[in-house]
Amino acid sequence: MADIELVDTSLRDGNQSLWGATGLTTAHILQIAPVMDRVGFRALDFTSSTHMGISVRTHKEDPWELIRLTHAAAPHTPLQFIGSGLRFISWEPVHPDLIRLAYDRLVVAGMSRFVVLDPMHDMEAVLRTARMLRRAGAREIIAALTYTISAVHTDDFYAGLAGQMAACPDIDRVYVKDPAGLLTPEAARTLIPAVRARLGEAVLALGDDDPPESGSLRRNTKPLELHSHCTIGLSPLTCLAAADLGVAALHTACGSLANGTSLPNAERVVANLRELGHTVDIDDRLLARVAGYFTDLALAESLPAGQPREYDASFLRHQVAGGVMTTTRRQLDELGLGDRFGAVMDEVSRVRAELGYPIMVTPFPQIVCGQALYNVLGNERYQHVSDQAIRYVLGRFGRPTAAVDPDVADRILSRPRARELTAEPPPASPAELRRRLPARISDEEFLLRATMPAGEVDAMLAAGPARRHYNPGLKPVLDLLAGLRERPGMSGLVIDKPGFRLELREGTRQ
Amino acid sequence: MDLTGDDVQDILSLLDGLPFGELHLQTARFSLTLRRTADGGWTQETQIRSEPTIAPAAATVAGEATVPGGGAVPGGGGVPEGGAVPGGGGVPGGGAVPDGLRAVRAPLPGTFYRAPMPGAPPFVDTGSSVEPDTVVAIIETMKLMNSVCAGVRGTVAEILLADAQPAEQGAALMWIREDP
Amino acid sequence: MRRVLIANRGEIAVRVVRTCRALGVETVLTVAGADRDAVPARLADAVAPIGASYLDADAVVRAALTAGADAVHPGYGFLAESPRLARACDAAGLVFIGPTAEQLGAVGDKLAARDHATAAGLPVVPGGAVGSRAEATRLADQIGWPVLVKAAGGGGGRGLRAVAEPAQLDAAIERATAEAEAAFGDPRLYLERLVTSGRHVEVQLLGDGERVICLGDRDCSVQRRYQKLLEEAPAPLLDDGLRSGIRRAAVAFGRHLGYRGLGTVEFLVDARRGDFYFLEMNARIQVEHPVTEAISGLDLVAEQIAVAEGGPLRLAQDDVRLAGHAIECRINAEDPGQGFRPSPGTVTRAVFPAGPGIRVDTHVQAGSAVPPGYDSLLAKLIVTGRDRAQALARLRGALARCEIEGVATTAALHAALAADPEFGRGGADTGYLARFLARRAGTAVRAGVTDKKAAAAGARRG
Repeated sequence: MADIELVDTSLRDGNQSLWGATGLTTAHILQIAPVMDRVGFRALDFTSSTHMGISVRTHKEDPWELIRLTHAAAPHTPLQFIGSGLRFISWEPVHPDLIRLAYDRLVVAGMSRFVVLDPMHDMEAVLRTARMLRRAGAREIIAALTYTISAVHTDDFYAGLAGQMAACPDIDRVYVKDPAGLLTPEAARTLIPAVRARLGEAVLALGDDDPPESGSLRRNTKPLELHSHCTIGLSPLTCLAAADLGVAALHTACGSLANGTSLPNAERVVANLRELGHTVDIDDRLLARVAGYFTDLALAESLPAGQPREYDASFLRHQVAGGVMTTTRRQLDELGLGDRFGAVMDEVSRVRAELGYPIMVTPFPQIVCGQALYNVLGNERYQHVSDQAIRYVLGRFGRPTAAVDPDVADRILSRPRARELTAEPPPASPAELRRRLPARISDEEFLLRATMPAGEVDAMLAAGPARRHYNPGLKPVLDLLAGLRERPGMSGLVIDKPGFRLELREGTRQ
Repeated sequence: MDLTGDDVQDILSLLDGLPFGELHLQTARFSLTLRRTADGGWTQETQIRSEPTIAPAAATVAGEATVPGGGAVPGGGGVPEGGAVPGGGGVPGGGAVPDGLRAVRAPLPGTFYRAPMPGAPPFVDTGSSVEPDTVVAIIETMKLMNSVCAGVRGTVAEILLADAQPAEQGAALMWIREDP
Repeated sequence: MRRVLIANRGEIAVRVVRTCRALGVETVLTVAGADRDAVPARLADAVAPIGASYLDADAVVRAALTAGADAVHPGYGFLAESPRLARACDAAGLVFIGPTAEQLGAVGDKLAARDHATAAGLPVVPGGAVGSRAEATRLADQIGWPVLVKAAGGGGGRGLRAVAEPAQLDAAIERATAEAEAAFGDPRLYLERLVTSGRHVEVQLLGDGERVICLGDRDCSVQRRYQKLLEEAPAPLLDDGLRSGIRRAAVAFGRHLGYRGLGTVEFLVDARRGDFYFLEMNARIQVEHPVTEAISGLDLVAEQIAVAEGGPLRLAQDDVRLAGHAIECRINAEDPGQGFRPSPGTVTRAVFPAGPGIRVDTHVQAGSAVPPGYDSLLAKLIVTGRDRAQALARLRGALARCEIEGVATTAALHAALAADPEFGRGGADTGYLARFLARRAGTAVRAGVTDKKAAAAGARRG
């Protein structure tokens, strides 16, 4: 029986899965960060460049300050950043030196754990990014094996990647990332041992504590973690299977930020792990407090609470997330073509295969479904092709895992638009970008201005420092008071419920 | 809900612009009254209403492992799992059982009583002689009375808890100086 | 740290509970006597009855172990600077939230503290240990009259006796020795030159045993018989060079000790001449810590806990940003019209001001008992503004909205201070309050109204 650690994903992946990544502000996070620090999580999945952009654009808050304040409030638990190493905030690829600068600033601000995520598994790019992170001072670097079901994504395929990750001194751990929640316990029982066998070949440089006679290199097994979403209800069971198979840490979420398309509920996972004889060294009381906080917050802010999900057998086949399916169905209905929905879903499978089996994680479901829709609506397949699909085939999102079908590639790249996009200049270097921007701004502000519209950054700066205090229990009272501004002429108010009474009176002047 | 000074400021910043002169907020734990004064300022009056809770004696005295789930202060812990160390972050304290003394421990979480019923003389006092089967205390759990026996032959050296004090399972209730 | 035993009472107990709750740390509060039902007992997660006294270190340690606590927070006063409690905690495997026992000893002995200060290069008030009577007279002649007789085991303004001329020295020393033995268990005395027109400026330090940083200064010159009534941060009207000299000296002292935790170095400052002298160091959190919190944005109890958990300082000196001005009034249950006689009893009404820049730290509400035998602090009113003028204006309005009934309080006196032009100018010295009270008494007599009635009228007014 094993000792299992937890990585909490409430703040980033939970927020992203259930609340559009816009549900949590600086105040929401800082209020609970000191308590989260004491639960005993191995790490907090905390931010990505997308989330940093949302801080600026949606909340008008400084994402760098958020990192600093959270690190100060939670100094004992590593904060995790996830990214591909190709983009920063905007969808356009950026110059590698800009990424290097971003990593330097992230480490200084307090991020210490970094996930390198390339759903295309372009290992050259992954190793390059890992090295950049190591040089920037990242303390723990995780490489992701993004799981999907397809003809090419076999256990051997993943084991091969794991072997490369094991050999890389800039990668400390590996995790199986299952964004669509497809990994069944049965599949895990072959995949995980295959991957761990290759991770056991890990070769690490000699550390200060190692005895000199062990030679110049030290063999060790790189730990493996599991990050699997609850989309079709499998993840809670797969996590338990993973614990039996030697996985070192499981990714979970708390309270209303768990379940649904998010990660499994930490409290339930801990109870189940212990039921099976594993140990989990966390503070149960504080874990309950964190879960309660996010649940209270969801209620106070009218945000949806994740619910356990029903198994959907068809999902393993088309892998199109609910949101995308709903949107596609609606678009067809609007065109009076609702009866073509089944045809579109069939076309999705074909297009996915032709495009080299992209893993159905944003932005690929949109690209694949969009193309499937065009193919069904057009007179011919690939008569209409979106810019994103062209860029995908040009490799701008990374090198596709399997080759794009040559005929399809030909069709797409011979379009005039493709020639325009091919001629797009390479991303500008930081020096060039600096010249285009106001002088004497900090590196952090520069990184925002280089990747976001000036108006959004200006608005964030003009809004001043973010609030740091939040009380979910009080929020309904504050909302009520704010709402009363629109209701002049009220001379008094009484709300009387069990355990709660609020009175507003005109009061006597004294 | 708990209120801090920041919360009061948040309420006031909204209340100030409304035509009300008084806000009264009450829960089971507290009540807060905010009143506008003639000079345009505000006053606050708070009443904390929750009752104090006596800390149960933890099962950690004398170096024993904590009971799983023993993080909660009131109400005590749950059923021990044969020496498993729970995820509670280790054993706080650590004063050892004094030399030559044996501990009598609470077999269940509950309330420690020194006498068989209110008003009756206590089972034992400091200095009382005891045999292994001598009843020295009662632990009351969920309205059920559980006798606690000395477990050794000797003399009561010190009684550690007050009458009617809560105790966690495994908490030391008294020291017995064992006969040689 | 999962569970802290708070070995204190009153407003500081409430203060520590508040931060622990925000951090997720459980609190168990020692309670003696009627404190069992007081507000702090209701706010803590649980209480541990400890009999009748807060001064029994063994009882505190026993209570901590029984309650399963892993740390002890001693507050201020009581055993906060007791090396014995610190050592007993260490022996029992409990974390003592404060400096090491050695550091407590080094600065708790006020004479030893002077030696450390000198060793660290700080100027000290001319003075020295008292040996024989002849030596004492010689020393006093050397350092200059009048002199202040101080208890080496005292501190916090206790055990001080001014002696104006040589003829009074012998008798003063004899009485002071007896009092010191009785009050502190340590009969040793020392003399210092009595600086009649100085300011009491103190510097807040935070250390982790290796690094020490300064969190700004405070002015605590408004004192009556060496007890602070009102404090402010930063100390007003100090020349930049003098201020940085004082702060540097404090940090040097902290570094010399390898200080761990929160501590405050107190100085006597002659602002006109630009001189300052080390007075003593307080190795604990202080009553007036909120004014430093107000201008720094820090939670000092959280910083104490972070250091006690063994981490390095999470702030560099450059991270400390001070902005604005804060003033704190200690509202005590005392009757200024009756020579500041303590006024125990029951609070029947406790209404405090609220609003921007206003913070109230208190443990009393309507119905609270104010028992005799403990210090008389009822509430701390802390008012912040973007500058001293705004803080003062807000303070005047805030004091006018204080309504505490059932016991006599010093609220009206604070209102009068806040309205006094000399206080308004800032930079008042340690003699200021005595002069102010004398003026007030004189005015009241001339107006045919006794001090008592004036104070009572003031209390009713607000």
